[in-house]
Amino acid sequence: MREAGAGRPRSWTALLARQDFLGGMVGIAGSAFVFWQAADLPIGTMGGMGPGMLPKTLAVALAVLSALLVVDGVAEGGPVLERWTIRGPLFVLGAVVVFGLAVRPLGLVVAGPLAIVISALASSEVRWKETILVGVVVTAFCIGLFKFALGLPIPLAPWLIGY
Amino acid sequence: MFDLIGNLGLGFATALTPTNLALCFLGCLVGTLIGVLPGVGPIATIAMLLPLTFKVEPTGALIMLAGIYYGAQYGGSTTAILINVPGEATAVVTALDGHAMARQGHAGIALGIAALGSFFAGTVATLVIAAIGAPLTRLALLFGPAEYFGLMVLGLGLAIVLARGSVLKAVIMVLSGLLLSTIGTDLETGQERLTLGIAELSDGIDFAVLAMGVFGIAEILRNLENPETRDVVRGAIGRLLPSAADLRKSFGPIVRATGLGSVLGILPGNGAVLAPFASYTLEKKLARDPSRFGKGAIEGVAGPEAANNAGAQTAFIPLLTLGIPPNAVMALMVGAMTIHGIIPGPQVMTKNPTLFWGMIASMWIGNLMLLVINLPLIGLWVRLLKVPYRLMFTVILLFCCIGIYSINNNPWDVYFTAFFGLAGYMLIKFGLEPAPMLLGFVLGRLMEEKLRQALALSEGSFMTFVERPVSAVLLVIALAIMVIAVLPAVRKGREEAFRE
Repeated sequence: MREAGAGRPRSWTALLARQDFLGGMVGIAGSAFVFWQAADLPIGTMGGMGPGMLPKTLAVALAVLSALLVVDGVAEGGPVLERWTIRGPLFVLGAVVVFGLAVRPLGLVVAGPLAIVISALASSEVRWKETILVGVVVTAFCIGLFKFALGLPIPLAPWLIGY
Repeated sequence: MFDLIGNLGLGFATALTPTNLALCFLGCLVGTLIGVLPGVGPIATIAMLLPLTFKVEPTGALIMLAGIYYGAQYGGSTTAILINVPGEATAVVTALDGHAMARQGHAGIALGIAALGSFFAGTVATLVIAAIGAPLTRLALLFGPAEYFGLMVLGLGLAIVLARGSVLKAVIMVLSGLLLSTIGTDLETGQERLTLGIAELSDGIDFAVLAMGVFGIAEILRNLENPETRDVVRGAIGRLLPSAADLRKSFGPIVRATGLGSVLGILPGNGAVLAPFASYTLEKKLARDPSRFGKGAIEGVAGPEAANNAGAQTAFIPLLTLGIPPNAVMALMVGAMTIHGIIPGPQVMTKNPTLFWGMIASMWIGNLMLLVINLPLIGLWVRLLKVPYRLMFTVILLFCCIGIYSINNNPWDVYFTAFFGLAGYMLIKFGLEPAPMLLGFVLGRLMEEKLRQALALSEGSFMTFVERPVSAVLLVIALAIMVIAVLPAVRKGREEAFRE
């Protein structure tokens, strides 16, 4: 499944296109962030561990191993990063966040179709009529299932009917 | 022996009440319905459907969840056979010969033998659970914190060895998972850790949120990038019931795979993922004409499917007896149990025998139901699979959102899911496998608790892990498998095994 490595990268910019190098760098940055966040937590002793013991130890271990991955990436190159796209993540994650923002104040009646329409933009072929129809029908189905059949306390349309 | 029969009798009496039977049926049905959707594996299915069980009393809820689990498993195989899009890693093997059979016009037989093989494996695995559940529970009561810690280290060790890709990357993922599990209020001091000042993080990250982000959302992002290569089997599904000759050919593989799967499933650290691969390799080795494999050999469907189901089921053993979830699905079960006020572990069987045995009996009933409801419903699943992905993913996404929101009725869970979706997308890009991270996260909190307890008892001396024989043995095995995995010779073999 994995692409075979394309040999040793020649320049720093080429290195930035490699999985292992970039992944390791992200790992180092992440563990540094965790360590900084955990800085104030006391470590305690071995017999009486404090809340900071595990986060700090794990962060250091993660940083060391991530550094090894970076070294690996520099020395051997490793697999090349696949193409990144913006469109998919932007609209899919956007739809999820918008759902979260809308569900309480506006209710499922609005949040449902909104999530469907926004996420539909993530695909390269958008058909408006079809999407809106699906949004309405599926939301109606979900309301029937989750709200009425299962009685989950998810808001329907607080601005209109009060719940 | 009489114990076993009596216990199973109690179980069946519980599982066969009309309500529980209906819940089991409903679970199997919706589990298959969601599991059949391409790119939605059992983990995402269960995370999505968890809220369905909230209003039901605990025993019924767990019976329903178990049904959802088998349904999702079976739905995944259906997708793999009919459109060659495996919902999760374990269905990859089924796709090889199953889809080849479907292209030759034998889709029905592939689906039929998958169902029959799974049913046989499920029956045996149910008996295995019933038989060794009780003795293991007695053993578990003898476990102290050091032993628990050792066992969990072994589980993580196995997860690392079983992950695809390099050992280094798998260790990195395990550590990331452990780190994520430390987020939230510290168990002993009550101090907030790594919460970034977000109040919603003080209880820690919900496992369903992490799993849904990394497996559900990230999978949608991946599918959107790869232009559709679905080829839904056109034309007739054909006969469903395998012929006598087919059954004769499949019987051996099913029996062997059931044994293999049952044993691997008990291992902590998700040994069950290995089962279908192991069965496929074994059958290919044993076959008189190995070249048939990959071109529609019925043994290549029967074996892995049986192994998968056996492993999926015996994976309940570590959860029910020790309270240690061996994989992500079982971790979701822990979440569901906790919601209903049940703490998984050896005490469940003694304090709550109807729940314990009822669930075990319902596993068998669930397997039987899958056989009964799926075979006639295959036409419906086929029609569902013909819905284009550009519509399907929007609906899957909405279900994910509603499911996650409903777990705690908290919009923050939805935001966190989006965040972990992005994180999962990055992991895919970096070639890092998320499964070890999830297991690290699942075991993290319990591991920290046991580690702190053990060291408090020994006044800070790590010798306690070595002096106590059981924990020493467990840790030595964990160390040994890790060392073996990085040895050059084994490393090469391991890479080859995963390439297949």
